[in-house]
Amino acid sequence: MPQQVPRLAAVFAVAVIGLFVARSLLVPDTFGDLGHYRAAAIDTIVAHPKEYAGHQECTMCHRPIAEQRAASNHRGVRCEVCHGPAAAHVANPLEIKPAVPRERDLCVLCHAYSPSRPTGFPQIDSVTHNPRMPCAGCHEPHAPEPPVTPRECSACHGQIANQLAVSHHAELNCGTCHEAPKEHRDNPRAVRPTKPAERSFCGTCHAADARSSERIPRIDLRSHGQPYVCWQCHYPHYPEAR
Amino acid sequence: MQGYIYPNEFELQWSLLIVLYPYLTGLVAGAFILASLERVFNVKEVQPTYRLSLLTALAFLLVAPLPLLAHLGHPERSYEIFLTPNTNSAMAMFGFVYAWYLAVVLLLEVWFDYRKDMVLWARESRGVRRWIYYVLTLGATDISEKSLRFDDSAGRWITVIGIPSAFLLHGYVGFIFGSIKANPWWSSVLMPVVFLFSAMVSGIALVLVLYMLTTMFRWRKIDMACLDKLAQFLFYALVVDFSLEALDFIHRLYESEESIEILRQLIESRLFISLIVLQVVMGTVIPLIALALVSPGLKKGGFLRTPPELRQIIYLVAAVFIQIGIFSIRWNVVIGGQLFSKSLRGLTVYKVELLGIEGLAMTIGLLLLPFVILWVLVKLLPPWSDGPEPDTPPASG
Ligand code: HEC
Ligand code: HEC
Ligand code: HEC
Ligand code: HEC
Ligand code: HEC
Ligand code: HEC
Ligand code: HEC
Ligand code: HEC
Repeated sequence: MPQQVPRLAAVFAVAVIGLFVARSLLVPDTFGDLGHYRAAAIDTIVAHPKEYAGHQECTMCHRPIAEQRAASNHRGVRCEVCHGPAAAHVANPLEIKPAVPRERDLCVLCHAYSPSRPTGFPQIDSVTHNPRMPCAGCHEPHAPEPPVTPRECSACHGQIANQLAVSHHAELNCGTCHEAPKEHRDNPRAVRPTKPAERSFCGTCHAADARSSERIPRIDLRSHGQPYVCWQCHYPHYPEAR
Repeated sequence: MQGYIYPNEFELQWSLLIVLYPYLTGLVAGAFILASLERVFNVKEVQPTYRLSLLTALAFLLVAPLPLLAHLGHPERSYEIFLTPNTNSAMAMFGFVYAWYLAVVLLLEVWFDYRKDMVLWARESRGVRRWIYYVLTLGATDISEKSLRFDDSAGRWITVIGIPSAFLLHGYVGFIFGSIKANPWWSSVLMPVVFLFSAMVSGIALVLVLYMLTTMFRWRKIDMACLDKLAQFLFYALVVDFSLEALDFIHRLYESEESIEILRQLIESRLFISLIVLQVVMGTVIPLIALALVSPGLKKGGFLRTPPELRQIIYLVAAVFIQIGIFSIRWNVVIGGQLFSKSLRGLTVYKVELLGIEGLAMTIGLLLLPFVILWVLVKLLPPWSDGPEPDTPPASG
């Protein structure tokens, strides 16, 4: 037999025997009894101390909060999701207190904007959404409400309102020139207010024969700026003539 | 992000490292198959690359599992897949496929091929080197005629086993992707075969580049017959590879399953550069045309007569383009398969991180590591048979 064969055979034998020895030493006894895992792992897990109490436990002593939460948008978010495991607190409520998470990080875990969240889930961009203030300052964590849409036009059209306020038209309301249905505030893109469409509209105050305050400058509606509409030359929210 | 995706598809789970893994194993299989050409099919021209191919395959094989370890984390637990083999999982069988290929095929073949030299080197050298070589021979120092003949025939038999094993190693990687039936971009029986041929292409191209560079830096003359033969094989492998890919593609188009629309969007938007530009045009069409025109293996003297120096440059550029193309193939398979939603209604994006365990830096590191290992291997087991290096570069001209 060539010299190579026994030498190689020895190396391979060592490797294979090594594998079997390692198997017998390292593979846990109960491995494979129930499946491709260590069956005794179940007992190990059962033996872990209980850290969570379950939200039903809290109701007994924190009834108002529990009822508030159960009826709120956070009804699906259990107490210990935010306050952390509290079994020890239930056993010894005065000595051991659960965490009270006042930092913004907690809420952002669920509410930070992420394209992978389901459509319609309330999300915010933490960087721009009222930074440097705790969320709980504005939203009650146990009963958060969906935001109410602001009523005033200026809340959404801030720039226009600001300009108008310092313009010659400062004394005019939005409603003078626009008819905004109530639904526009809730669904602004679908329901649109009216906009003036004709020269004659501005003429109601500015035409030479208009029945308006004397102080209002007049023009000859038939010749002035023809054939264009007025807002091609005068921005209506900040009209300038001089 | 565009369209609708499921929440768990936003982030890609298989990162750049998983692109690297099939790329590396492909190089291993390809380099080995090249080596076996000389051994089993007696292609004498490529003999100068025989040992280099073996060492290349070995160096890359040693690195091949590292991307997986880095990706999975907990490398200290990796031995467990050997201890508790799970025969139901193709992925869990990786350890055995790998160990078989490393220990039974590559190491044995290298050992039989180098044994005589190692015995001689052990006799020539002193000190530590002597011991290293002696240990490497495992004490089998008999270099009689009969014993060497045994080495030779054992080596040949191992190569015979090795070819299907190399097919197994890389076919296996393709199998992993091809068997994921929930993913229309991957699920295809052609996958292992396509992987295999692209492996051959990349392996041959790599050895071609390494052969040219190592020869040049040792101030030797490049053996043009060898290079031409390599280029010819490269051409054939590329033709088969491209045909298979095209077959797969046309088959998908003709079948026109419901996924076809999203795959069209995928190719037109996310994969346009890496698939159309890099993989098809740069990595396949340009090298195919270049090789077809200049290779003297296809038509005596080549369709275009070229001086050897020009041909070398063309080969080198074609081989580098092919490497880029093959890497793009891996990218397109691995990353492409995760860019579209299983809802078939949306596409996500993949941003490569720079640092971090799965980042670009790691990938580059792992790509360079095989070359470092190869350098060590070459120092230890010089693959050249053309005598000692000349002290001074030969006079030009
Ligand atoms: C046996 C009665 C009892 C139960 C059950 C109980 N608590 Fe309390 N909890 C208390 C008492 C008492 C306090 C202390 C009130 C105080 O100090 O003003 C308290 C305080 C707290 C506080 C405030 C801690 C602080 O630092 O101010 C939180 C939060 C809290 N409990 C959460 C929970 C949660 C969550 C559960 C359910 C897992 C729970 N508790 C169950 C009795 C209970
Ligand atoms: C969405 C997260 C969240 C959930 C769910 C939640 N809490 Fe709270 N809880 C808070 C935050 C935040 C505060 C601090 C409020 C503040 O600072 O005004 C708080 C305050 C409290 C306090 C008073 C602590 C104090 O010092 O005022 C008690 C008691 C309490 N929670 C109990 C509960 C119980 C019981 C439940 C389940 C029924 C529950 N919480 C569910 C976030 C949560
Ligand atoms: C200064 C008070 C204030 C603070 C602080 C604040 N919010 Fe708000 N939040 C609002 C108001 C007002 C709205 C409704 C208008 C809007 O969308 O901006 C709102 C809306 C929301 C909405 C509903 C968004 C939607 O599209 O339905 C969520 C969720 C929300 N906030 C979470 C948070 C979280 C989380 C924090 C802490 C990181 C936080 N808020 C801090 C005032 C506040
Ligand atoms: C474990 C995840 C989770 C955490 C943590 C959490 N929330 Fe919520 N939040 C929800 C869910 C779920 C809803 C209900 C969404 C729905 O109705 O579709 C909700 C609803 C809300 C709403 C109502 C918005 C609307 O438009 O309906 C507000 C406001 C809100 N949360 C604020 C907060 C604040 C402030 C905190 C931190 C104290 C917080 N949330 C922490 C899951 C969470
Ligand atoms: C909740 C925010 C919100 C409130 C409140 C609101 N708007 Fe708007 N408004 C919008 C949005 C959003 C648009 C659409 C802008 C766009 O599409 O470019 C819009 C458009 C308009 C337009 C232009 C319509 C068009 O067809 O171009 C007018 C005029 C307008 N609003 C007037 C008002 C007036 C007057 C009020 C007060 C009664 C008001 N809006 C209150 C959000 C609001
Ligand atoms: C003097 C009459 C007048 C008043 C007062 C007025 N608008 Fe306008 N507004 C117009 C006219 C005219 C247009 C059409 C401009 C155009 O089409 O270029 C317009 C257009 C708009 C638009 C469409 C977007 C734009 O900038 O062109 C919005 C939004 C709007 N107004 C909001 C308001 C709000 C909010 C107020 C109250 C703060 C207000 N407007 C007060 C006359 C007025
Ligand atoms: C409800 C009456 C009213 C309507 C309608 C009205 N304006 Fe005016 N306008 C005024 C008043 C009041 C002034 C300010 C007079 C003053 O300076 O005291 C004024 C001033 C102006 C000025 C002069 C600015 C300057 O620099 O002195 C221009 C230009 C003007 N309006 C354009 C328009 C245009 C364009 C429209 C139509 C979109 C319009 N107005 C509709 C009441 C109206
Ligand atoms: C082609 C551009 C153009 C158009 C269109 C136009 N104006 Fe003018 N408007 C001017 C210019 C320029 C001035 C300032 C020079 C002047 O007094 O003639 C002016 C001045 C005014 C003045 C101030 C007159 C004064 O005596 O101070 C009023 C009021 C006015 N325009 C209202 C209107 C109204 C209302 C319309 C639509 C019917 C309108 N303009 C259309 C260009 C235009």
